[in-house]
Amino acid sequence: MPRTPAPARPDVFAALANPTRRDLLQALLERGPQPAQSLAERFDMARPSVSEHLRVLREAGLVEERRAGRQRIYRLEAEPLREVADWLAPYERFWRTRLAGLRDLLDSGAADLPPGAGS
Amino acid sequence: MTAPDARDGAAAPTSIHVDEFLGHPPAAVWRALTEPGLLARWLMPNDFAPVVGHEFTFRAVPLPDAGFDGVVRCQVLAVEPVHLLRIGWRGGSLDTTVTWRLVPEGRGTRLLLDHEGFDPGDEVQRRALRGLGGGWRGQLLTRLGELLDALAA
Repeated sequence: MPRTPAPARPDVFAALANPTRRDLLQALLERGPQPAQSLAERFDMARPSVSEHLRVLREAGLVEERRAGRQRIYRLEAEPLREVADWLAPYERFWRTRLAGLRDLLDSGAADLPPGAGS
Repeated sequence: MTAPDARDGAAAPTSIHVDEFLGHPPAAVWRALTEPGLLARWLMPNDFAPVVGHEFTFRAVPLPDAGFDGVVRCQVLAVEPVHLLRIGWRGGSLDTTVTWRLVPEGRGTRLLLDHEGFDPGDEVQRRALRGLGGGWRGQLLTRLGELLDALAA
């Protein structure tokens, strides 16, 4: 087992930087696995152009390709997206730590209202 | 249902939402949020005042590598006693807002925190995150920066 978590493939970000590829991912997310042809029709794009985008997405690990007869079916792979979605985790940790401090402060009674104050 | 920003959200979220139940009434939580001395004890030293428009700072640990001098420059944007506090939160290249909402729950308070406005396209912010988070995520984000720079060139 590797000692550190496997990093996301770096080209995930390059793949996501392109709006058409984000649209393709969105279509696969909403409509499930599809052949390249129906994606091309949906986006009114030339088939080779869609294929090129799908190739980039596949190399980034964002889609999986499966052959079914003469067709290639593409399916969204969500795991790399999850890793990208974690980019704000350090801030979330910061706030969780601080809120734990807030809880300790409140439990110490430091913020209790003086007797007779409030309702 | 799809939120309006779901597509961008899937690629790179721009906000943090944290909630915490505190076994103390909203009035006590409000004091801890709005009295500078109490606020300093759980967050950071500050010269806060609960007045809309008031500009103040939090003093944090500088992260020179991330272009952060340790000063969070803030402005009070909204004050609704015992219910809501919103401040502008700027540090380094960060230009964000932090909103606290206090919701009575039983004998205590649910504190909802929204920290919004992060820019995943900002290389300095990613470096700041590396300082905060370290490790593989930091490397990942650095790589993201290089890639986006290359794409923009």
